[in-house]
Amino acid sequence: MGYLKHKEKAGDLSNFQFALLLTLPVVLFLVTIIIYPLLYSIWASFQQISFFGGYRTNFVGFKNYIDVLHSPSFWNGAIVSLRFMVESVVLTLSVGLGIALTLKGILKGRGIMYSIIIFPWAVSCYGAGIIFKYFWGGIRSFPSALSFILGEGRSINMLDEHIVIEAISIGNAWHLAPLVALFLLANMQTIPTRLYDMAEIDNLGGFRKFYYVTLPYLRYSLFIFTSIVAVLSLKMFDYIFVQTGGGPGTASAALTYEIYKESFQNLNLGYGAAMSFYLLFLILALTILNYLFWGRKMV
Amino acid sequence: MNKKIVKWILIIVIIFWTIMPLYWFLRMAFMNPAELSLFPPHFYPHKPTISGFFNVLGFSYTSSSGEIFIPSGQADQIRRGLMNSLVLASIVTCITLIVTVPLAYTFGRLKFQHKNKLLFAILLSVALPPVSLLIPFFILFVKAGLTGNLIGLTLVHLTITIPFVAWMLMGFFRNLPPVEPLATIDGFSRIATFFKIIIPMSKVGIAVAAIISFLFSWNEYDFAMVLVNGTPATTLPASISGFLFQHPEVEHLAASVIYSLVPPFIVAYLLQKHITEMNITNPIGG
Repeated sequence: MGYLKHKEKAGDLSNFQFALLLTLPVVLFLVTIIIYPLLYSIWASFQQISFFGGYRTNFVGFKNYIDVLHSPSFWNGAIVSLRFMVESVVLTLSVGLGIALTLKGILKGRGIMYSIIIFPWAVSCYGAGIIFKYFWGGIRSFPSALSFILGEGRSINMLDEHIVIEAISIGNAWHLAPLVALFLLANMQTIPTRLYDMAEIDNLGGFRKFYYVTLPYLRYSLFIFTSIVAVLSLKMFDYIFVQTGGGPGTASAALTYEIYKESFQNLNLGYGAAMSFYLLFLILALTILNYLFWGRKMV
Repeated sequence: MNKKIVKWILIIVIIFWTIMPLYWFLRMAFMNPAELSLFPPHFYPHKPTISGFFNVLGFSYTSSSGEIFIPSGQADQIRRGLMNSLVLASIVTCITLIVTVPLAYTFGRLKFQHKNKLLFAILLSVALPPVSLLIPFFILFVKAGLTGNLIGLTLVHLTITIPFVAWMLMGFFRNLPPVEPLATIDGFSRIATFFKIIIPMSKVGIAVAAIISFLFSWNEYDFAMVLVNGTPATTLPASISGFLFQHPEVEHLAASVIYSLVPPFIVAYLLQKHITEMNITNPIGG
């Protein structure tokens, strides 16, 4: 409290000083705790690391990076990751926005709806993976049960190689959409109600009201969430690992799974590290593209 | 009238979409192994049993018909995991909030030099995939003696919650009405404006940030698997994963997942109520 009073008397800091005071400790913490592992990974990606016959490392230059580019499983992983990302972003944002718009107008029972829709977000990634493994996969899946109820009586395995990416993307959207919806709802509450009164006077219809009044206020959040969902989907490991184990075959072997397999199963640490840098470049490139395409005016 | 019907249909669709996958999995916790292997699968347990909930905590259970269900071999790990995860998630949530709220406020609302560089440093740490940090973190923590205890895991979780929560809170702070000039006129300093005006106005955003950090830490699996799995400091996700790599006892798996869902659901429910009580369209009152 004394500190506060002192500051009050001391008067104003400049914006930059104030920002530095609040952010520098955090930035320093993040940088130190991130920098070491990052440097280690960079070092490892230039080494051939072997465990059998004694631990030893050989400097091999860019060999790992070149080998990765010649590996079909890397390209397969990249395509799987990108498809998973695009489908997840589209599904998550549409579902999230849909939920937010539907709940926005509810007055009675709003609390109950909030507690229901937040459930999936409370589930962990590995939990969602386990849940959807049993929901989509195997002969005792939910779609099979449904087909017996509807009288068709056939077993449907959604984790089949042709649609496995779509199936896991839907699960991912199920898991992430509540967060998007809650933030959009909180965001919608900051829109001044008089704007809606004015829209009423101007006789705007439902869609135009959404487009001209609601959407401009949500643009920043939508931009942020496009980035977040894209990055989360590209980084996703445990959800896919638990649910499909990269299968059937390599149909859902995303880049993260390939990195895990190379590093922890094949113990090819250098090669795995090199591959993880390609993934990092991909994530950074997409984030920057998203920023240039959409976010530049807002940050 | 038509609008109302559409709205109700949408609400039912949303409820169905949200509940069905959860229900489908959780119903298995109440089935016995015989019922679980039936085809076509039952939509609900015809002879519900709660044996799984006792077995995963290390108790045997005798049903009313005299059938005995023996404790699961994972029970010890599950019990430890429950305690450790509660402690860990609470600590991570507190530290994250103390750190990120000022951070997000600064980036969301103030204009200053080098803003983009600082922002980039934070975002870079969001972009790093956990899988690629697993090995270096593991080696670093072995050297520092931080494997097999919760301190190492707390540090790792903070490296993920801080940038992530800060990033999301920024959007929230941007949309607050411009009260700072008014506060200055009333003689508030920057620090006082922040603590006495901005924070009370932002309870909703902060509540959501708290939910996110708690859930992240409670649910984190990748690092827990590498850093504390199999030790006394194991967390719940790591101990649940033990079921996946042995003969599948689906009813035990489902029961332990239900246990793992209880605290998040309570937290989410309480904070959610908090959100609806807030009137943030008119935060200053009057």
